[in-house]
Amino acid sequence: MVIYSFYIFDRHSECIYTKKWSQRPTSASTKSLRPQSGSSFTSGDGAASGRKALSKEDDAKLIFGTVFSLRNMVNRIGGDDNTFLSYRTGEYKLHYYETPTRMKFVMLTDTKTNNLRIVLHQIWANLFVEFVVKNPLSPVEHPGGVGVANELFEMGLDSFIKSVFPS
Amino acid sequence: MYDFPLPCPYSRVVFALLVINKAGGLIYNREFHPGLTKLSSNDLLILAGTFHGVHAITRNINPAGAPQVPGGNNPNLPPNPMSYQPTGIEVLESSNFRLQCFQTVTGTKFLLLTEPQQPNVDTTMRRIYELYSDFVMKNPFYTVEMPIRCEKFDRSLDGFVKIKS
Repeated sequence: MVIYSFYIFDRHSECIYTKKWSQRPTSASTKSLRPQSGSSFTSGDGAASGRKALSKEDDAKLIFGTVFSLRNMVNRIGGDDNTFLSYRTGEYKLHYYETPTRMKFVMLTDTKTNNLRIVLHQIWANLFVEFVVKNPLSPVEHPGGVGVANELFEMGLDSFIKSVFPS
Repeated sequence: MYDFPLPCPYSRVVFALLVINKAGGLIYNREFHPGLTKLSSNDLLILAGTFHGVHAITRNINPAGAPQVPGGNNPNLPPNPMSYQPTGIEVLESSNFRLQCFQTVTGTKFLLLTEPQQPNVDTTMRRIYELYSDFVMKNPFYTVEMPIRCEKFDRSLDGFVKIKS
């Protein structure tokens, strides 16, 4: 199981947190879980290897657009109680979890991973709520990602992902 | 032909089939079993267009990077059209249904809406594609990329999907 990236979108459809893991672990000695970047507002130059010039922000926007359209489509076909879980292409799989407050948690992994809805739920309940929402210094909304990428959340996310994806 | 009033829990249920042409227009839709929301033909057209767009976007999101094809990514050689084509959405899962998408080489997309746990959707899809090539593409009165109105295709689909489930 390889994990590529993780995104959080708030209810104003803004990307408030991104995290990417090293791409294409070199086959044999896979110590793949090496975090590369912090939060979205440290506007990185998006050194996306092996692809055209799509920056990190563009990637987040594309993913949000996809997820938003698919969620609406799925609701229209299957009724209001229907929830969008994931989709898979030949190259990757996207897992989706939406909280009642319309925060969207998205994770991109390789195609062989099982559904990660529970993992995303745990990230929300055990990490986001604990370290971001309950943080007295963090604002209620997070425009531009302010207050999300604090040290406790980063560390908690890192160790949690390592425990879920041992490699 | 006998129509099942409710999908039996043990049967394999295919809810619907949609065919989208390479421009994103809906050219065929058919409901086999009730269970999903009834959509007007207008809604279905919107849905087909949306899916077409999203499918194109998902092909561009590629977190894994292009695979290392021998000689495939050599900048000194002209791009080989057969080397690497990313696919868009293949399977979409939701709590009430599963959407399987199959794109032909010419860009026509077949969407099959099934139950979430349905096995062997691939073979069903392959069979439907065979029926499409037999009864639609070989029909001399059919214009490509236009709505499919072939009675024989309808009947054979009914026979295949409903008997199987």
